[in-house]
Amino acid sequence: MIPKKVLLAPIDPVHDVGIKMIRRGVEEAGHQTVLLQPDLTPEEIIREILKHSVDVVLLSRSLGYGVAEILARFVDLADAVGIRQSVRLGIGGMAIRPELAAELGFDAGFGPGTTIEEALAFVEGREYVPQSVRQKKEKKDIVKGYTYKYRNETIAGLLSRITDNILSWASDKTSPGVLRAQVREELWDVDRWRNYEKMTEFLEEYPKLCGDLPRNFYEKGIMHPKTRRFVREEVVALESYIRATRERMEVPRLQHTLLKPLVFNQYGTGCPFQDTGHIKVSEAWGADGVIHFDPSWGARTEGFLDGFLTHQEDGTVITPANLNRIRNSLEPGTLWQVRAHRGLNTPETVVLAGKFKADLTKINICYGALGAGTDPARLTVDAVAAIRYAAKYGMHFDVVTNEELSGVPAYRAFAGMLITVDLALRLGGRPILQPLFCFSPEVMLEGYMRDNYVDFNVAKIAALRRIIDAPIWPGAPIGFLTHTEDRVQSSTSTAYHASLAAMLGVDAITVASSDEAYSGGPISVPAKVDTLRAVAEGFRFFGGSRIEPSGQAGVWSGEIEAGIERVLKQVVDRGEFVDAIYDGILGSREEGVYPGRNGRDTVMKK
Amino acid sequence: MSRILDRVMDAMDVETFLVCSSEDEGRRLMLQFLKDIGFSDVDIVFIQFQGPGVRVRARAYIHRPGDTYGWLKADSAEGEDVK
Repeated sequence: MIPKKVLLAPIDPVHDVGIKMIRRGVEEAGHQTVLLQPDLTPEEIIREILKHSVDVVLLSRSLGYGVAEILARFVDLADAVGIRQSVRLGIGGMAIRPELAAELGFDAGFGPGTTIEEALAFVEGREYVPQSVRQKKEKKDIVKGYTYKYRNETIAGLLSRITDNILSWASDKTSPGVLRAQVREELWDVDRWRNYEKMTEFLEEYPKLCGDLPRNFYEKGIMHPKTRRFVREEVVALESYIRATRERMEVPRLQHTLLKPLVFNQYGTGCPFQDTGHIKVSEAWGADGVIHFDPSWGARTEGFLDGFLTHQEDGTVITPANLNRIRNSLEPGTLWQVRAHRGLNTPETVVLAGKFKADLTKINICYGALGAGTDPARLTVDAVAAIRYAAKYGMHFDVVTNEELSGVPAYRAFAGMLITVDLALRLGGRPILQPLFCFSPEVMLEGYMRDNYVDFNVAKIAALRRIIDAPIWPGAPIGFLTHTEDRVQSSTSTAYHASLAAMLGVDAITVASSDEAYSGGPISVPAKVDTLRAVAEGFRFFGGSRIEPSGQAGVWSGEIEAGIERVLKQVVDRGEFVDAIYDGILGSREEGVYPGRNGRDTVMKK
Repeated sequence: MSRILDRVMDAMDVETFLVCSSEDEGRRLMLQFLKDIGFSDVDIVFIQFQGPGVRVRARAYIHRPGDTYGWLKADSAEGEDVK
């Protein structure tokens, strides 16, 4: 490298910080520099160029007004004195756009965000090759390091008795959902399916266990009215899109200096193609994991369809081909969760997710039975089977508490969550606590967030940590019911909640898009970018620092813990866990939830 | 123009501040504007009126889920079983 003589001049009344930083980089690379002061005229700068006989000139301009005129004047003067052939001219700064620089005749124009390395490459007359920022993201094990030891022995004892009851009650029962999961597990092989081999035994048994919609599909070829199959040309185009995107793909980290929380967002536009587009954007803007969101009718339908299907409404249909294609589109480090928690296909969803190597699933008896419409007895039988499959496939699962959104107080929802957690531990599963960070009806009525969104959320985490050493993944999404249609407000709210989650040291969060509160159409991909950018900025702003909750957080966490214990005692006193759900002990009609009716009377003796 | 719109993954938002005397007027003007420039699948995502006018974000969906996406350059009849 031949050292150059470089003149740097702010062609600007005031601003010269950027060019000073460029100067430092240029000098460190072994070049000689001359730095001029701000507020010189083009004539004065030209005189200095001639005086110092420089090889390269770097100008900077931050102020936008009059920029074209002053730069045009500079170039005219440079032409007039004949330095254009011997001196390379570059211009950069906040007011500069590369197209303007080129139009005016500069050799290079550097817009906002230019790095020192780019300017240095120009000085040295070489092509700028961006340093690879491609990061290898490794999948993280959310449950690693947790002992699942109870710290509240009273609660541990109550949960143990409830688990005994659930297992005893369910031991002689089954359901169409459990039987379908068995058929899927035993008669459906993913490798044979990928080879287009017909699985006759499976196709004979499976439709018999399905409701009308899937049975008509298998026996008569009738599609769901809102679905259609993709065609080969579309699939080839999708594969090409994924391949090309992967080649350009970078996977940044959002967490700045922190190791956690992992950041998840949901997809579920209805269309696996659109989902794939959204997933690749989410990954490119730093999401660590994505969550499959299925249509609400899927939870009320006995059985799954088959084929590579798009759906014209919210939620992407679970079929082997849809899961397979989405799975194959993911970056290697992206965690993938397939929700199984709430409907009539809970155990089979876990089996399919396991066969397609999902990392995570989602199961909660109480939420599914109270907030999502599935009969409590049916979901209890199905959940026991689902948890066993999750343990078999090594899939950890969160236990969500979304019944809080329907009006169930946090302590009661947490009691339900801990019941599923304890059951899971007994069956060899690794559950993840999922309290909500939300502006729930309870919070509105009681005024818990009249002053701030911090204290009550802190109280929830503190209460759970006093009960058990287990991973925590607030959701879903964080800031639920705080968002408005304003993308700035929505993204900011998510970012603050994410920052609070980071300060509390939780393991993962699920974030919304800035379209969270907009219900007029599908979520758009720019809305996902808005939120991910805001979350990254929140992590950057707070880093490893902490904010101090008020003393009220401690008071509320004690009340939540006491409330959980009280509810669990009531469940034990009731005798049967399933009856406790029907009776409203884990969420009542007065609070706004009702025992679900989907799948009622479908529980059978084995 | 239409070839560039093919590249829009799903929707295009237009944000601005309109000088007007009410939220209703701002909403009507913004939707009319999107229709005038050729969009049909349009909605107001966010609008807030204060004395000087409205801060508004309007949306035109270019590709809804289940459409044939221009950015995938695919166009064919349906029917095959693809895994």
